[in-house]
Amino acid sequence: MIQGKHIAVSGIECICAAGLNLKDCVDSMFSNIRNVATPSGFSSNHKTVYPVFEIPGSSPFLQNPQIFKTGQLALEAAHGAVKKAGLDKKNLQQKRVGVCIGTTVGSSLNNEKFYQEYRSGKDPDMAPIKRFLRSNPADLIAREYNLSGPCQTIVNACSSGTDAIGIGASWIQAGICDVVIAGGADELCRVTYNGFISLLIVDSSPCRPFDVSRAGLNLGEGAAIFVLESEKSLTERKIAPSAFICGYGSSSDAYHLTAPKPDGAGLKRAITDALEESGVFASDIAFVNAHGTGTENNDRVESMVLDLMLNGVPFHSTKGYTGHTLGASGAIEAAFTSAFLVAGKIPSSIGFSKKDPELHSSPQAENKQIDGNFAISESLAFGGNNSVLVIGRGSEPL
Amino acid sequence: MFNICLIAGLIYFYTNNYSYGIWKMALKEDLKKVIVEGLFLEDIKPEEIKDDELLFGNESLGLDSLDAVELVVQIQKHFGVEIKNIEEGTVAFQSINTLAAFIEERQ
Amino acid sequence: MRIYVKGIGTAGGFGCGVEKLVSALSNGESRTKAVTLGVKGKAEVEAQVFVTDTSALFSFIPKKSLRRINNYSKLALLGASLAIEDSGIKDLDRTRMGIIIASGYGAMNTTFSFLDSVIDEGKDEHASPIHFSNSVHNSAAAHVSILMKIEGPSLTVSQFEMSFPSALLTARRWLEEKRVDSVLLGGVDEFSGVLGYCGQRLFKKDDVSGIKPFEFNKQTAIPGGGAAFFILTRDTDNDSEYCIIEDVSIGKLTTDKISIPEDSYLFIGADGNKISGQKYQHFLNNKNIVAAYSPLYGSFPAAAALDLAVAGVSMKKNRIFASPEYSGLKDGLRIIKEESKINHEKICCLKICDHDEYALIRVSKNNS
Repeated sequence: MIQGKHIAVSGIECICAAGLNLKDCVDSMFSNIRNVATPSGFSSNHKTVYPVFEIPGSSPFLQNPQIFKTGQLALEAAHGAVKKAGLDKKNLQQKRVGVCIGTTVGSSLNNEKFYQEYRSGKDPDMAPIKRFLRSNPADLIAREYNLSGPCQTIVNACSSGTDAIGIGASWIQAGICDVVIAGGADELCRVTYNGFISLLIVDSSPCRPFDVSRAGLNLGEGAAIFVLESEKSLTERKIAPSAFICGYGSSSDAYHLTAPKPDGAGLKRAITDALEESGVFASDIAFVNAHGTGTENNDRVESMVLDLMLNGVPFHSTKGYTGHTLGASGAIEAAFTSAFLVAGKIPSSIGFSKKDPELHSSPQAENKQIDGNFAISESLAFGGNNSVLVIGRGSEPL
Repeated sequence: MFNICLIAGLIYFYTNNYSYGIWKMALKEDLKKVIVEGLFLEDIKPEEIKDDELLFGNESLGLDSLDAVELVVQIQKHFGVEIKNIEEGTVAFQSINTLAAFIEERQ
Repeated sequence: MRIYVKGIGTAGGFGCGVEKLVSALSNGESRTKAVTLGVKGKAEVEAQVFVTDTSALFSFIPKKSLRRINNYSKLALLGASLAIEDSGIKDLDRTRMGIIIASGYGAMNTTFSFLDSVIDEGKDEHASPIHFSNSVHNSAAAHVSILMKIEGPSLTVSQFEMSFPSALLTARRWLEEKRVDSVLLGGVDEFSGVLGYCGQRLFKKDDVSGIKPFEFNKQTAIPGGGAAFFILTRDTDNDSEYCIIEDVSIGKLTTDKISIPEDSYLFIGADGNKISGQKYQHFLNNKNIVAAYSPLYGSFPAAAALDLAVAGVSMKKNRIFASPEYSGLKDGLRIIKEESKINHEKICCLKICDHDEYALIRVSKNNS
């Protein structure tokens, strides 16, 4: 890996069950609030109800029936981030701007009503198909701002958001773009709800990452967008960065479709590569925002690797506040990490109260002050990809 | 009279046990079919699975954790028996025999 | 930075492997299969589609290891296996190899199999975890990584017609950054009856047989699936590569000035889709010699990878292949009508989307 530059971030916005903007999310997490409830946006005939972290469908930015909820979330987060960066459609036109967004549901053609009618030999209404074709999240953002740079939707399951930010940063590094709008978005839906439940990895209670009694994940939805910007562009605009993307590492377990490799080899390599690219040492890392889904396997492997590679570094999972937001999770957690660095503290790893004697390390049970300029946000995906970001502290409040 | 009752009783006993035996054999055959079809075991025939062989941790069948959760769904679908979590499944899934016994108890 | 194409693996309606692609290019034959689109009832329609036979995969990976693997992943595994074999690189370090897969629609058929499991008896608890975990877009990359023991970073990109060029951009970056030493880059899409049905509902097909890429005012697209995989490296120690990828540019037709060198062939990604097809007209002039090869493999997003495969194969074989179908081409425009020795050392592959996005891949021959 070549040691890269630290890529500046000029704006970040985040929407999830914890809050409709990054500040509200952060305040809510420091108050240890969990907005978890029975799903209301869809119904299911499972005997058990599995709680989810849902964004109210009545939210004003979710009223466009022409595009997926995922797309609406991505656009809303993009609007917020671009505005915070002090940019608008007009000045973005003067720059070479790329878009790199991670998602799962946003790229899925799986409308049940359409398919049910199709199966029964009818000619279904094509509206759901047209909606899908209109809803590619990177395309939506590119069209919203009339952008002309490269456009990429990453569908890497749970590491999509992390990967999108890492790859977007590399486009800035390479001089391909002056600005990259990067992040992730995903919505709750029946297909992923039923799918994850079928894997027996969903908790019927609010999730308990790293806890001895953990019983699986809860699903969530949301979006987070970063405006990544070249040094030259930022200097011209005289803007101070709100964070830095210092390093990105990614590596495959090459082990199993749904289970992480027990020895955590892929995650170890990804952390090593991210640190190497950033030029930051493990001892400089103030805290780690873990993937911490609350499943038996993930938490076991992750705590083992963190203990080995970042021994003594406080870590937490924020999925107790947001649920697992799939393609959005890496971006949402990177947004949180950026905000916590500026705030100088991290919220508790909510849902954790009792140590698992079989785990090598445990997360922060209480809110904690932290000191330092760098943190790690990591994601372990279905399919065995492990992606890690080293994030640097900015000077602007978030 | 007593002899007739005894013989009648024995016939009743053996017929029921025989029917029960047939039913249990049929259950095991059905289970083997469900495993082969539901888990996409293309190169194994149902009758090749032995009643007492280990279903998991067995290299010849090559089943893993993803197969285990699929089997939970298949059992629910074909036999109407719920397996609430993977720990419960681990006990039931040791072999065709244990699985048949598990289903029998719950049907 | 220049990157080298060291191996190519292709699979499509024309068969499997580079030599089958070359045969199809030489004889111009397009092999489609008749299927019924739509479920029996009102919606039923007979159509010709491009389907790939993936049975050649068994010579690379034992059948037992492929037991739960769907057609989408099999296509990817086949393309990947063929590319690695084709490269002939003996000491390929798979810990330093990245995988990038581009797919317009992902594992469509498995997505619907998953929905079947829920809809069949109307019970959510019957949802199949095997189908669910294989329905995610990145399942193909996961299977390639697992079965071929590739431990570098893995990425799956889904950007409709821009999927492959966008993925190539990232492949190039990974090599530049020395994140990896080689990239296994592939484009893969599978034929899906549901998607084919949607296509004929949304776009009324003109009644012609075969894709007519130069009949810009007609809808002649033929759905299908296939795969093209490449082994890409940062450097080369011999002349065995297919070609050099000089540059990938992605942008918007409305804002960018695209110039295609006069001494370059131009392969256009026109595939019978009327809306995007019309936009290629601007690039047809009397300077560049053009060709469009989609009639040989079909109209699907990952076919852009097959266009690059044709460019690579043309460079290596020193042959330029006839454009299989050129009805509708205006007089005076230069098209490859017959196979001949290659005269230019540059090929540009141009792909345009409905909404004016474009990608230009510049390829050249290594003469050093």
